[in-house]
Amino acid sequence: MAAKSNLSGSPDADLSSLSDRSLSSRASNRSLRVAEKERRKNDAEDPFVLALKYFSNVEAGTPVHGNDEVEKNLVLVERAAYSKGLSPEAISVMLEFAMSLRMGSGICPRVLKCLIPATVVPQEAVVRAVAWLGVANIPVNTQILFIKWLLTVFDLIDAKDQLRAIYGFIFNFTSEENLCPFICHLLYLLTRKESVRVFRVRKLLELQSKLGRQPFLLNLLSLYKVFCPELVTLSIPSQLKSVFRNHNLPWKSALTVVQRRNSPQVASSLNLFSTSKHKTTSRKRKHHHLGLAMLSSAVNKEPQTETSRQLVPLVQLHSVAQLLENMHRIELPAQMGSLLGSSLGLHYLDCVQDESALLRLNFWLGYTLQEELLFSSDEGSSQSSEESMQFLDKLLSTQHFLQEGFSSSEAFLYKFLSVWDGSVLRPQILGLLSNIPVVPSSQIGQLLFEPLMQLFFTSSLFFKCGLMESLNNMLLKWLTWHSVYALEDDLDISLNSHTSINMTLSGFKDSVMELVDFVGRLASVGLQLEGCHSLLLNFILDFYTTVCDMFLKYGLPLVVVPPPGVFYPALFATDPVSVDRLAFIMHRYKVNLTSAKSQEKLTKQAFRISRQTFKEFNNYAVFMVNCLWNAKLIQPGMSIQLGEELLLKSNVPEYWKSFDLIYHPAFMSYAVDFHQKCWPGRKDMDLDSIKHSKPWNWYLEYLFNQGYDGLKLFIQSNTSRQLTAGDGQGNSLSTE
Amino acid sequence: MSLLKPFSKLPSLNTANILLVESEEQFQQSLADVLVEETAFTVNVRLAKSLPLPKENEESRPRIDLVVFIINLTSELSFQSAEASLKYLDPGYLLGKVCFMVTKARNTSVPTERLDAVRKLAAVLSCPLLFAEDQTPDGVTNARERLLSILKVSAGLVPMATALYLSNLTRCTVPPDIDQPSFD
Repeated sequence: MAAKSNLSGSPDADLSSLSDRSLSSRASNRSLRVAEKERRKNDAEDPFVLALKYFSNVEAGTPVHGNDEVEKNLVLVERAAYSKGLSPEAISVMLEFAMSLRMGSGICPRVLKCLIPATVVPQEAVVRAVAWLGVANIPVNTQILFIKWLLTVFDLIDAKDQLRAIYGFIFNFTSEENLCPFICHLLYLLTRKESVRVFRVRKLLELQSKLGRQPFLLNLLSLYKVFCPELVTLSIPSQLKSVFRNHNLPWKSALTVVQRRNSPQVASSLNLFSTSKHKTTSRKRKHHHLGLAMLSSAVNKEPQTETSRQLVPLVQLHSVAQLLENMHRIELPAQMGSLLGSSLGLHYLDCVQDESALLRLNFWLGYTLQEELLFSSDEGSSQSSEESMQFLDKLLSTQHFLQEGFSSSEAFLYKFLSVWDGSVLRPQILGLLSNIPVVPSSQIGQLLFEPLMQLFFTSSLFFKCGLMESLNNMLLKWLTWHSVYALEDDLDISLNSHTSINMTLSGFKDSVMELVDFVGRLASVGLQLEGCHSLLLNFILDFYTTVCDMFLKYGLPLVVVPPPGVFYPALFATDPVSVDRLAFIMHRYKVNLTSAKSQEKLTKQAFRISRQTFKEFNNYAVFMVNCLWNAKLIQPGMSIQLGEELLLKSNVPEYWKSFDLIYHPAFMSYAVDFHQKCWPGRKDMDLDSIKHSKPWNWYLEYLFNQGYDGLKLFIQSNTSRQLTAGDGQGNSLSTE
Repeated sequence: MSLLKPFSKLPSLNTANILLVESEEQFQQSLADVLVEETAFTVNVRLAKSLPLPKENEESRPRIDLVVFIINLTSELSFQSAEASLKYLDPGYLLGKVCFMVTKARNTSVPTERLDAVRKLAAVLSCPLLFAEDQTPDGVTNARERLLSILKVSAGLVPMATALYLSNLTRCTVPPDIDQPSFD
């Protein structure tokens, strides 16, 4: 950590703030630190202030080349900027100096690059600079650099009202082709409902016909469409996968370093700074780069009755009752991310119909996730991974609260999966994975299955179990959505209340089918590779416990039976729990299939469970009954065939009964125990004697009393127990 | 030009041999240190900067069960070196006994083209492409786990599974461009 903070390389880097992190004796250190800082400040302040004075007073047209004074002063400012960041006043001065081109355009980029705010960026300075953009003859590259800087520090600008007031002015810059992408991004951040006008829409459409369907134009148009759907008739792809491109901003890392270093002092300095604001906004943001900002209103002053409708900032509301009263005139916070931290904000999001809030939140989220998590340039530092973890946990709890995922976190997840090593942030990523909404079956393979399959087969057993659990949760969520949102008459479902993705029932069925098949493949091969590990088997059986009840529990007319690679390992498992769970699953399958069949007969509806499914299920059921109950391992006409000679060659005596309820490796110990209890006096053990009808019934009672309810249900529904063991042929379903 | 051959030598009992090829020799050593800690079977780790391997040790060198090319995505050289080394590999290795391990993929300074090039290379050769976080101890341990799970199969220590079988399931495919919005 020490090495990292020294990276800035400046001589007056605040080393003492490092030591207080590592040492436990904070109190003594602190006073030392304060004293030292005072001393340093006095030393360093004068030249820095002088330098600023120089830049604010310098004559226009002063030559740069060979001018040592400029060089000296600029170095001073740069040093201060990279170590502590610049104060709001310094930002004003330097920005004004750079954008007015008082010393020509050559020095401008260098000044812009060192504009790293220590606390906030004053809005006035930004507005002035934007004004210079229109007046002065600034080279295009420098203009772009300025807009990029503005985008980077956007969240740090102390208020946005004046910037919004010059929306039209900024909008005009879209006609410059090189600036357009960045201006669009800026406009996206500034747009409110009032800003959407017909002529602007027309202008954007014109640009689109000139430049082609650029993502930045589409993004802005989609926001316009949300605000005023009547103005934008263009069809916009339902899910724009990309947010604005990552500009690889040069200030990002410097800003992070400065903010980290400043974080203990920021709160207090902000308090001093923001005397004009009301109390709740005084601690405007925590200066962790992934920390959530506190709620703060976009307008700096108390709301006035300027327009016909008065807006109430969310931050002034303190109870649900207040929220309900003001529902129609809520003003959203300046930074949407702060909603994640406020439960009232989440309530608002949950019940509001207006899509713009969700769209803005989604946008902010997508940008943040991409910037901070996908491309964490300072990977490896424990602090940043801790922050990411907390951030994702927050996001997850928000998603749990809202009961739906965000499309931006979904897009992030797809990208992250393709570069994931399988261990970084594993619980969080698996959590996000189980929250993603239904993926259309045409894309599910490429987006999800490809990366997951690679990760699954190259990772440890525990990852395999974790992924299985996560996929099970994903299926559960999908099915719950289906059962909640499915309309009864037409079989159309809208997947969540906010986005307009609609999916037909058959589309949904296809997606579920794909998912179940995929897990089936993973499970079969996974079990084979891990030697049928019972932990993994348990997670797999969890999944099939969900699958077998899809029809009755969630009303989805779809039954998928497990593949042989899952069924047989579970049936021949050495632990009785797995066999019991399999029996329960088979029992539920039977109940589901019977009720589907009777319903089909009753309503003569079009949906049908395919004959193949019935056939497969029957095969399994017959095999299982034969195996456990009738002690016949292989029968002609069954799904698996083994040569009789081959089995004889194995020299297992009476091989056909080695998997019945007595000799099955999972139950043998129970049989032995039962034998001892039943005939305590007997010296020689003869397990076959359990087969006689009376002890057999006792033995079954004994087994069921051990808690094997699944087995009990299976045997009760598939055999007629009054018959003796010999001919209790399973009365399995017919395929008609 | 001497090719490294997968089946020219006999395997030894309960032993797996892995060759880590990395031109920068940064991640190699730490990975090797944790790989040899495996106790269920003997793991021999050989390190190389690039292929071909020197001739002098050829007799004593055991049969290599898995060749891992470690590519640091922030350096073009690392990728080129791995690409050049591939020529000295018997095609038999490509039946599931080669894998690529990429480090520093989540770095801002990585051009997307390079990642795409690595993906394409792995996809053309039908090899798995693993990502690793080489900066954190957890990342290294996880990389070890993943390499071991492939190594176990390619050394024939997992019954009923062969290297070719596993590589069919894990091989890299050229990804879709998810940055491009899909227009309906």
